[in-house]
Amino acid sequence: MKKGSHTPARIALYGMDDRTCKTMEMYLKGPCRGVAVVVRETEADIDVIDADHPRAKDILDARKAATPNRPIILLSLQDLRIDNTFFIKKPVNVTQIVDVLGKIKAATAPRKVFFNPVKAAETPPAPVEPVKQAPPEPPRKMAMDVYAKKPAGVKHVDVSEQQKTAKHQSAVQLNEGGFTAFLGTVSDIDFEDSAQLLTACYDPRQSFLGYVQSAYKTANLQSRALQLNSIWKPLIIFPESQEIWLDADDKQLRAFAGMTLGKNATGSMVLVPFDNGKAADRAMDKFQNMNTFIWKLALWTSKGRFPIGLDIQRPVFLVTWPNFTRLVITPDALRMAALLVSTPKTPLEVVSLLRVKPQYVFAFISACHALGLLRQSERQVDTVIAAEPPQKSTNKSLLRKILGKLLGA
Amino acid sequence: MSQYKIIFTGPVGAGKTTAINSISDVPPVKTDAAASDMTKNRKSSTTVAMDYGVMNLAGGEKIHLYGTPGQERFDFMWDILTVGGIGLILLLDNTRADPFQDMKFFLDAFGKFINDTSVAIGVTQMDLSGKPTIDDYHAQLQTYGLKPPVFEVDAREKNDVSLLVQALLYSLDPGLAE
Ligand SMILES: Nc1nc2c(ncn2[C@@H]2O[C@H](COP(=O)(O)OP(=O)(O)O)[C@@H](O)[C@H]2O)c(=O)[nH]1
Ligand SMILES: [Mg+2]
Repeated sequence: MKKGSHTPARIALYGMDDRTCKTMEMYLKGPCRGVAVVVRETEADIDVIDADHPRAKDILDARKAATPNRPIILLSLQDLRIDNTFFIKKPVNVTQIVDVLGKIKAATAPRKVFFNPVKAAETPPAPVEPVKQAPPEPPRKMAMDVYAKKPAGVKHVDVSEQQKTAKHQSAVQLNEGGFTAFLGTVSDIDFEDSAQLLTACYDPRQSFLGYVQSAYKTANLQSRALQLNSIWKPLIIFPESQEIWLDADDKQLRAFAGMTLGKNATGSMVLVPFDNGKAADRAMDKFQNMNTFIWKLALWTSKGRFPIGLDIQRPVFLVTWPNFTRLVITPDALRMAALLVSTPKTPLEVVSLLRVKPQYVFAFISACHALGLLRQSERQVDTVIAAEPPQKSTNKSLLRKILGKLLGA
Repeated sequence: MSQYKIIFTGPVGAGKTTAINSISDVPPVKTDAAASDMTKNRKSSTTVAMDYGVMNLAGGEKIHLYGTPGQERFDFMWDILTVGGIGLILLLDNTRADPFQDMKFFLDAFGKFINDTSVAIGVTQMDLSGKPTIDDYHAQLQTYGLKPPVFEVDAREKNDVSLLVQALLYSLDPGLAE
C-alpha cells in the first residue's frame, strides 16, 4: 500500500491491552488506510483512551496533566460528553475515525502543531505494509551458512532466509485463460477425442524434469549440495534447505521444460558436487523452494498430458494435500485435491465426476506425482484403506456462495 | 435465519485476529465492556474478548468468522461457539516451542466438531522458522488418521487465508463448483 499524500496522525493508545492495541494498529493500517499510526506516548500528536477501562478517569486525568495541549479521543460503548475531548462510540468504524481525525486536524492546522511533515520525517511513522521482524542489519553471511544446522530447541530468525523472496511467494491462482497462456497448447492432441486422450502422454525421463527429480533424489541421499549441468543453465540443489538456485525466469524455464530431450541433450547432463566457492555470486532472489519449483516444472512438462509411468486406467489418490499456498494453482486443482485425498479415482473418473477438462486433470496429476504426493491403488485393497469420500456438506448453496466470494474478492 | 460460522482457533499469536481481518468485510475493533468509572450508570456487563469478522455473500447472506479467545483452555464457550459452525480453521505458530503439542491440543479440544464438519490447518510464521516442515505436520497427522489440508500460511496475506478457507470448503464437498 502506498502512503497517502497526507502524513498519518500519530496516536498513542491508553487503557487497552496488547491484543486490542495490535488490533487497533492493524485496523488503522488496513481499513483506515493508514490515516493514523500508533506510536509511543512521547511521539504522539493525539491520545486515544478506552473510556470503558475501569480506571479510565485516572488515565484521562494523567494524560491531561502530562500533555495539556494534546487532543484526546475517548472510545466508549456509552455516549460520553466530556469537555475538551473528542468522542468515538464503539464499535469503532472507519468513518468515525476519519471524521474525528479530520476535526482535530481542522482545529489544530492553523497552529501547525500536528501533522508537521518535517517532524514526521525525523521520526518516520510505522510503515503501512506489515514488516517481517528482521533485525535492521542483515549480517553478511555467505549463502552456505544459511544451511548450517540451527541449535536444537532455540528457534531464531534467519535473516538470510528472509532475503530470499522467491520461496515466500504466494500461490498464483490461474483461471482458464491463464492456464492456456501458462501451459501453452499441445497442438497435435485433440483432448475431445477419447482415443487420442489415452495416448496424450509424455515421458518425464526424456525431459529436464526427469533429470531434476533424479538429481534431487541423489542430493537428498548424499545430504549435500549438487549441481546439475545441462545444455541449458546450471541448477544447484540444496537438500538441507529444500531449495534450488537457478538463474532463469519462469518463461525461460517453461520453454526448456517443454522440450523433449534428444541424445545430445541427455548426453550433456552431468551431476557434480556443488562448489561453494562462488557463493557470493548467487543472487538471493534466485533461490526457489524445491517443491514450488518441481511442481511448476512438472506442469510445464506435462502441458496437459499424462505422465508415462502411471497407468491411466488405474485409480490414483493423494497421500496428502499439496501445500497450495506456495504452488501454482491450475484450474480446479483444489477440488481435485479434496476428492483424491479422500478417495481413489481413475483420471477419467475425475474428469467426469468433477466436470474438469482432461488437460487440467492430467497436469494436476503430473505435478502431484512429481512431488511424490500421488499413488496408484492396486485394486480394491487400497480403495478400502483410503478414507471415505466426504459426505459432510451442510449447505451446498451456502458453501458455493462463500467460494464465489473468496474467488471474486 | 441460521447463523453460519467458520471458527478460527489456535494458540495466542498464531494469527487468528490477523487472518479474520484479512478476509473479513468489516474488520471490527474488539470491544471490551468492563465496568468503568466514566460510565457508572451503565450496568456492568462482561463480554468475552473474541475476534469477529463477517463475509457478505451474494444474496444478502453472511458468513460469520469467529476467533476463539486467546487463552489456551478448553471452556464451555468453545462448545457454544461451534454451534452452527461449518468448519474449523486451525492456525499454528511455527515459532512456538512445540507446535505439534499445540496441534494435538486443539484437535482434541475440537474433536467432535472436526468429526462433524472439517478442519484445515494453516502453519504461520514459517518465514521465521522453517521447521517443522509441512511434511512433518502431515506425518504427525497421519498418526491421528487425519488427512486435512495443511498449508504454509502468512495470516497477513489475504490470498493465503482465502486458499485455506477454500480448501476447507472443498474438503466438505469436492463437488462444489463456483
Ligand atoms: N512474520 C510473520 N508474522 C505473522 C504471520 N502471520 C501472522 N503474523 C503476525 O503475528 C502476530 C500475531 O498475530 P495475531 O493475529 O494477533 O494472533 P492471534 O493471537 O492468533 O490473534 C501479528 O503481528 C501478525 O501480523 C506470518 O506468517 N509471519
Ligand atoms: Mg488475536
